[in-house]
Amino acid sequence: MKFDLVHDIQKTYRSLVQAMSNPGVIVNVAQYVDKNELEFDFYDTTFALMYMLLDAEVSFKIYSAKADKTSRYFTQLTHSRPQDVKAANFIFVLSDASEDELQEAFTRSYEGDLIDPHKSATIIVETQGITAEKSLALKGPGIKDTNYLAINISERWVVARAEKNKEYPMGVDVIFVDQQGNMACLPRTTQTLQVVK
Amino acid sequence: MNYEYNFGFFDEGSKREIRRTILKAIAIPGYQVPFASREMPIARGWGTGGLQITLSLAGKGDVLKVIDQGSDESVNAVNIKKLVNKTTGILETIDTEAATLIQSRHRIPEKYLKNGQILVLQVPMPEPLRRVESSEYKTKRLHADAEYSGAWLMLFEQIVKYGSMTTGAAHPVFVHDRYVMAPSPIPKYDNPKMNHSEALILLGAGREKKIYAVPPYTKVVSLAFEDHPFEVENVEGRKCHLCGATGIFFDELEDDETGEVYYQCNDSSYCLSRLNSDKEVQ
Repeated sequence: MKFDLVHDIQKTYRSLVQAMSNPGVIVNVAQYVDKNELEFDFYDTTFALMYMLLDAEVSFKIYSAKADKTSRYFTQLTHSRPQDVKAANFIFVLSDASEDELQEAFTRSYEGDLIDPHKSATIIVETQGITAEKSLALKGPGIKDTNYLAINISERWVVARAEKNKEYPMGVDVIFVDQQGNMACLPRTTQTLQVVK
Repeated sequence: MNYEYNFGFFDEGSKREIRRTILKAIAIPGYQVPFASREMPIARGWGTGGLQITLSLAGKGDVLKVIDQGSDESVNAVNIKKLVNKTTGILETIDTEAATLIQSRHRIPEKYLKNGQILVLQVPMPEPLRRVESSEYKTKRLHADAEYSGAWLMLFEQIVKYGSMTTGAAHPVFVHDRYVMAPSPIPKYDNPKMNHSEALILLGAGREKKIYAVPPYTKVVSLAFEDHPFEVENVEGRKCHLCGATGIFFDELEDDETGEVYYQCNDSSYCLSRLNSDKEVQ
């Protein structure tokens, strides 16, 4: 069965809405995105997010060892245009991006301004795994008491994200994805605390 | 003429625009995110904002409930349901608990909404400061500076003139300690239901081209003064003449012949579910 650009994207989107409105809650979209039969160098969930979010109205930036090739691919499929990290609406940090590139995505992305905080970037990060282990303790809107999240990538981004989001309502929203079809979100309102092990 | 529409009436490009806007709205609770509001087969001001959100969210397997002033069966509610049903084929319900998507005009259902359900409210006037500042250019800057003297003054003037805050519906709320928000013209009775609601609340204004949101478990406080606390409508001593419910929001009706005033549950499906459940009525 082929990946359905209407229905599978709708299902993936609803899962994303659930994840964005309940930060730290892990949703799984494997049953929708795994239907994809095309070959590319990124995760199936990233492919679904590309189709769900990108079109000619918005711009993107890709961090990857094959950034040029993937950027061309994104543009061909969505008519969205690649843009410098400072101006891009969506920033994709793919699994083969370096740690410094992940850091750059957080430090140099656009956080919006006080008049138009919605013009800020959304960062999509491919990770090696997302679990509910007690690594990061999350608080904020969408969280009843405390949610916990563990993202299997270098943890330097946590400080960079907190720095970027320190002047609410300005800030960036983050979507983490992994190869198993898991997704978790950290909107700018979520406060993170690293749990001491 | 028999046109074939895409699933959910809109083309995928339109859905993408609305979906991106909803994500930003969830990320910035109470902030009105501008969006390219689409032309609809119903007139602006008749629920196009809510409908655009509903159609962008809806998918196979969803169950939709639409209410208009508490009623599942008013013309507006029925026609919105018909439009969604004809262009998506999704199921309809009047049962609040069975619905995954609830589009509402000016009420939050009496039954407690759960996490995973989405309440979509139709908003005619999304800008809480519009009565004190007519320029959108300026209100955006007032929100940027969290300069809400206008909203406070509006309530203060009501107290000076009438002795109490006279907002019947759309009493402004403070969301996540940052944005003053118009909760759509829901009665004051419903305002406290927004505070730490389990369900996601999305608000859409089609004519004014704004979408905003209250995520679950978010602090929502109705504006009030220390010496004039926020009060919901007084429903004491009132009782539904059909199901006998007390302590909920009522419609006030008058007998044409005797002139006697009586009350009925405003939420028609709540009333019906009580009538159908013998145990509850007894």
